[in-house]
Amino acid sequence: MTRMSISEALNRAHHHIMAADDRTLVIGEDIRGGSGVDGGLELGGVFGVTSGLAAKFGEGRVIDTPISETAFVGMATGAAMTGLKPIVEVMFCDFMGVCFDQIMNQAAKARFLSNGRFDLPLTIRTTMGAGDGSGAMHSQSTFGMLASVAGLTVVCPSTPADAAGLLKSAVEAKGPTVIMEHKGLYGVAEDVPDELPSVPLGKGRLMREGTDLTVVAVSAFVHKAVEAADTLAAEGISVEIIDPRTIKPLDEALILASVKKTGRLLVAAEDAAFGGFSDQLTAFVARSAFSSLKAAPVSVTPPDVPVPYGRRAEAVWLPGVDEILSAARTLASA
Amino acid sequence: MELEDLTSLFEKAHFIRAFEGALAAAADAGEVPGLVHLSNGAEILELAVASVLDPKKDQVTGSHRSHGIALSLGVDPQALACEILGREGGLSRGLGGTQHLIAPESGFLGSNGIVGGQVPLALGAALSAKTLETGGIAVSYFGDGAANQGAVMESLNLAVVLKLPILFVCENNGFGQSTASSYSAGGTSLLGRARAFGLAADHVDGTDPVESTKTAERLVSWVRTSGSPAFLEASVPRLSGHYHGDEEKYRAADSRAPSSQTADPLQRLEAMILNRDVPSGLVEDMKHRAHERACAVIDKAIAAPDVSDTALDAYIKEAQ
Repeated sequence: MTRMSISEALNRAHHHIMAADDRTLVIGEDIRGGSGVDGGLELGGVFGVTSGLAAKFGEGRVIDTPISETAFVGMATGAAMTGLKPIVEVMFCDFMGVCFDQIMNQAAKARFLSNGRFDLPLTIRTTMGAGDGSGAMHSQSTFGMLASVAGLTVVCPSTPADAAGLLKSAVEAKGPTVIMEHKGLYGVAEDVPDELPSVPLGKGRLMREGTDLTVVAVSAFVHKAVEAADTLAAEGISVEIIDPRTIKPLDEALILASVKKTGRLLVAAEDAAFGGFSDQLTAFVARSAFSSLKAAPVSVTPPDVPVPYGRRAEAVWLPGVDEILSAARTLASA
Repeated sequence: MELEDLTSLFEKAHFIRAFEGALAAAADAGEVPGLVHLSNGAEILELAVASVLDPKKDQVTGSHRSHGIALSLGVDPQALACEILGREGGLSRGLGGTQHLIAPESGFLGSNGIVGGQVPLALGAALSAKTLETGGIAVSYFGDGAANQGAVMESLNLAVVLKLPILFVCENNGFGQSTASSYSAGGTSLLGRARAFGLAADHVDGTDPVESTKTAERLVSWVRTSGSPAFLEASVPRLSGHYHGDEEKYRAADSRAPSSQTADPLQRLEAMILNRDVPSGLVEDMKHRAHERACAVIDKAIAAPDVSDTALDAYIKEAQ
C-alpha cells in the first residue's frame, strides 16, 4: 500500500497501462507540455496527471496536439477503430462543446454502426467541477449530458483507487469511456494497493451503511456526503451512502436494494438541475421502487444557472455539506 | 494507358454507374429506407485512387456520398446493397445504412453522416499505420462543402503537425447541397488553402482517367514513402442531384444533371476506347454486362429480408 493522491494514482495507472501494452498512447493538449519550446521541463498536463510519460514512453506515444479538440478526439477515435487504444485528454469538459460531433456522432456510434465488427477502446479523460474560481467555461460538470448519449460509458471517480482502477478498465473496454475527474479532488489521498487493481465499470460502491435514508452522491459530493453523514449520525439519522462511480451503465441493483431498505432517496451531485443524472436517478427509483418510498426523493444540485465567477456567488451556486444536511433532515422526518 | 487498362476501368466505372442507377430505381420503388446520395460523375477519380491503394493495409473514409468509393475499393457489392437497403446480409446487418457504410476488411473504414466528420477519423487510421508501422496510409474523401468545416481545417493542420501518412482528397463538384462552392468559400483556391497549412497539394481533372491515375499514383506514393500528408483537389461533376430525387430547381434548367452529360467522365472514357482499334460492340457489351450484374445485385438485395426483429437485441441488453 502506498498513500497517494488522485492525480498520483492516475499518473501511476498511466505508467502501468503504457508499460503493459504498447498499443496504448496518450493524446492531448500540453500533456507532455513544452513541445517546440527549448530548454524547459515537461509540464505533464495542466494537473500533472501525465507527467513523466513522454520521458518514459517517447513522443510517439505521448502526443502533444495543437488546440484542435475536434481533430484530435476524432483522430483518437479513428485510431481506436484501427488497432490502437488511445487515452485522449480533453483539458476541461467544457471544451467538449467544440468537439461534440466526434464524441456524440463518431466515437459513441462507431461500434453500433459497424454492428460490432470492431471495438472502440477509446478513453477520454476530462476534468469537471466548480469551486476554484474558474468561471462558467472551465467549471461545468457534464456527466449527465454525456450519459444521455447512447454508446458512451461515463465514470466519475471520487477516490485515488477508483480513479486508477476505472482508468485501467476503461482502456480495456470494448466501447468508448469518458472519465470525469473533479478538479477539486486531485489532491485527495488515501492508501492504495501498489498494483492499482482494476475497478469494474458499472459497479457502484456502498460507502457507508445506514437505515434511514440513501444518499447517492457523485464525485466530490461523495466526500461532502460522508462528512454530512457523521453529523447526521450524531443526530440519530442513519445514512447509507452509495458512490455509483459509473454514471452509465448505472449500478441500478445496488441503488434499488438500498432504497428498498431505507425508503428514502437523496441524490447529491454537481449536476444539471434539469434533465441530468439526478433527475434520471429519481425517475428510475420512482418507476422501480415506488411502493417502497416513504417520501418523495430529493436532489441537491446547483441551480439551473451557469457557474458564476466571484467567490461569494460561486459559493452560493455550489451546494455543500450544509445543503446536504438540511435536505437529509427534512427527508428523514418526511 | 494501355487499352486493357482503359477497358478494365470502363467496366468498373460502368458497374458503379449501373449500381447507382439500379439503386435509384429501387428508391423510386420504395425499397430504400432513406435518401441516397449518388456518386455519378466521380467514378473515374475514385477508381483511379483505389487502383494505387492496398486494401490490406490502407484505410479510407468517405462522406455521405460514398457508394462509389466503397465499390472502387472492392467492397462486396451484395453486402453493400443490402446495407443501403437496410436488409439482412448488409455490411452491418442494415443498422448503419448508406451514410454509415463500414468495411475495414476492404480498406473502407466508413462513410459518414456528418459533413467533414470522417476526416479526423482518417487521421486516426494514419496514426495507427504510423505507430504500428504497417506501411499503410489513410485516405479521406470529402467535398468542397466540407472544406469549410472546422473539422477539416483542423485535420489538415494536425496531419502536418504530427506528420501523418494521409492523403486528403477533396472532390470539388461545385456544390454543397444547393449552394455553390464559389459562394461558400471566402478564398476559392482550395489548393492555396491546403498549401497554407503546409501540405503538398495538387489539382486534377477527375474526369480524365490518365491524369487522375497518374496524379493519384504520384501523391499516394509520396505519402507512403515520405510518411507525410498530401492534398488532392479533384474536379468532378455532380451528375445527379444532391440526393436522388433532388429536382435541382436551384440550378438553371439547362445545367441540371440530366442535361450535363457532356461532362460525363464515362463518356470521355468511352470516346478514348472507341478511338483505339477495338471490335465493334465491345463497349456496348461491357455496358450491358455491368448493367445486368448491378441489377442482379440490387434485385437480390430487394429480395433479402428486412433487418430482423432481433438485430437490436444485443445492444439493448448491453445498455441495460
